[in-house]
Amino acid sequence: MGHATAVQIKEEKFILSDKAKKLTFGLMGLGALLVIVGYLTYHPTITGLTEEQVHHLPLKRLLGSMLFNGYFFFIIATCAAVFIAISQLANAGWYVAIRRIPEAMSEFMIYGAVIILIAVGLGLPIIYHWAHDGVMEMDELLAKKTWYLNKPFFLIRLVLFMGFWIWAASMIRKYSRQEDQLSKGLNDTTFFDKTFKLSAVFMFIFAFTFSMFAWDVTMSIDAHWYSTIFTIYNFATGWVSALTTIYLITWFLRSNGYLNIVTDEHQHDLGKFMFAFSVFWTYMWVAQFLLIWYANIPEEVAYYKDRLQGSYKFSFFFNVIMNFVVPFFLFMRRGAKRSRTMGAIVGACILLGHWNDVYLMVMPGAMNLATEVTGENPVGIISVDSQGVGFMELGFLFLFGGLFLFIVLKALTKANLYPTKHPFIMESALHDTGV
Amino acid sequence: MMNMPQQRKEMKYMDNSKMLLGIYDNPDLTLDATKNLIAQGYDVHDVYTPFAVHNLDRVLGVKRTRLSIAAFLFAMTGLTSAILLQTYASYFDWPMNVGGKPNLHIPTYIPITFELSILFTAFGMVGCFFIVNRMFWGRNTDIMDLRVTDDRFVIAVNIHEGQTDVSELSSLFVKGGALEVREREKDI
Repeated sequence: MGHATAVQIKEEKFILSDKAKKLTFGLMGLGALLVIVGYLTYHPTITGLTEEQVHHLPLKRLLGSMLFNGYFFFIIATCAAVFIAISQLANAGWYVAIRRIPEAMSEFMIYGAVIILIAVGLGLPIIYHWAHDGVMEMDELLAKKTWYLNKPFFLIRLVLFMGFWIWAASMIRKYSRQEDQLSKGLNDTTFFDKTFKLSAVFMFIFAFTFSMFAWDVTMSIDAHWYSTIFTIYNFATGWVSALTTIYLITWFLRSNGYLNIVTDEHQHDLGKFMFAFSVFWTYMWVAQFLLIWYANIPEEVAYYKDRLQGSYKFSFFFNVIMNFVVPFFLFMRRGAKRSRTMGAIVGACILLGHWNDVYLMVMPGAMNLATEVTGENPVGIISVDSQGVGFMELGFLFLFGGLFLFIVLKALTKANLYPTKHPFIMESALHDTGV
Repeated sequence: MMNMPQQRKEMKYMDNSKMLLGIYDNPDLTLDATKNLIAQGYDVHDVYTPFAVHNLDRVLGVKRTRLSIAAFLFAMTGLTSAILLQTYASYFDWPMNVGGKPNLHIPTYIPITFELSILFTAFGMVGCFFIVNRMFWGRNTDIMDLRVTDDRFVIAVNIHEGQTDVSELSSLFVKGGALEVREREKDI
């Protein structure tokens, strides 16, 4: 609108400093150390059970921590790819200036997938109750799920789904980087159209496969329990965490003098997304909790009973405070979404809150012992309290968090910091919502 | 964005009973003409457009709306009313045993509290909007030019006797791309 001369599209490159490398590797080293210390010092005792009967609790906790941390960073990376695909399908213009950030985040997907496959592959009989030999046949509730919940089909599904998403994300990245090199100008929509078609296919398949992915990886840990809203609740967790990560990385790059065309307007819009989807997450969380609490059916309530006693009670309420109360009240004001300090505080709270959310989805179920170890009733379950977040959970958080940051920052160096020849780049550079 | 006065000084004169209207058909031209007129020191009364033109509010120095603060207060009123209503009804006035749930059944408060917060906010904001814009039943709205409700953009400039050169102003309008320039009485 008459002030197109105010911005300059230039080819910016991100330089990965030695300090950043040292910090991320230091984080990884600290994480690995914590994991080892945590594993060696965890000697649980449970009244009524012998030492032999609880001997694989440390392994359960190790694999459970690995699984939920890997899952957390994997869904962040996947939802970053989903963010690009959705914006592409909506013909959005505003996000183009920050597009390289979700692109870089999606490079972590393959590492996350490997982590999940290792944790699941090693943990199938250890943290997945249904994968014990004989459990499916003896348990009447589980017997009907045998056609779906069996080891080969489970692993094939995981590999196929994650493989497809990784392929789609890598093609989106490839088109975007090719566009910088090969596009004939701002009117050339060759790569735009290709990405559009790919995004449509990706979104359609993702919607179905993510459902099954969430059932498999997290819901089947509590194999007796089911919730029809669980998928969208998982997606909300990943989506809002991905938006928060994009928001924080954008602030990080801007405060280091990069991204000359990104303004407070873009930051504000990302902030609105974070606010809105925090409320969306709460909606899903309440919808799941309220119905189960109200209906009070034993097989459903068991899930929340585990999570409302012992050390998990704190995590349960921490979840609501960090993921709803904090973003809702601190991030409602317009100025808060445009402030770096406030953005960093709320962003950190949201990420910590959703890490805690995934912890609460996986760990109580993963720590549960099947009663077959006591030799009595083969289908019962003994709840085990892991006494709060310990070294292993935090260790894997630092280990995978450091890896995630390193991969993302490294991926940012591979291309210009924003696509210089995307058809909508000028629209994004002049983005102004007028509020 | 560039060289814009953040807050235009309120100009108050006794004799501003007439206005000159410049009628445009292009939002960009309107925006540029408004910038130009303000830079030249004319007392731009207001600009009327069929849709929101980005940056126009900043050029005119319109203050940011306080409607959002009002909305928050309405929401909190709704939230408090909903919690008081439910606690009174189900705990103090008529406790009932529903499925063995406690009488102070906080989780089921959520939907009703949510709905009442939204309801209070919506009604409160609409009410505020009407009051702030002085829109009541039976009040005739004075529209600068009927075509601003369709596809025309109107810049209204106050004429101050002895200070505003009307012929120079109208030539400025035409130079800026106005399709039509006319004078009208000010009655709002």
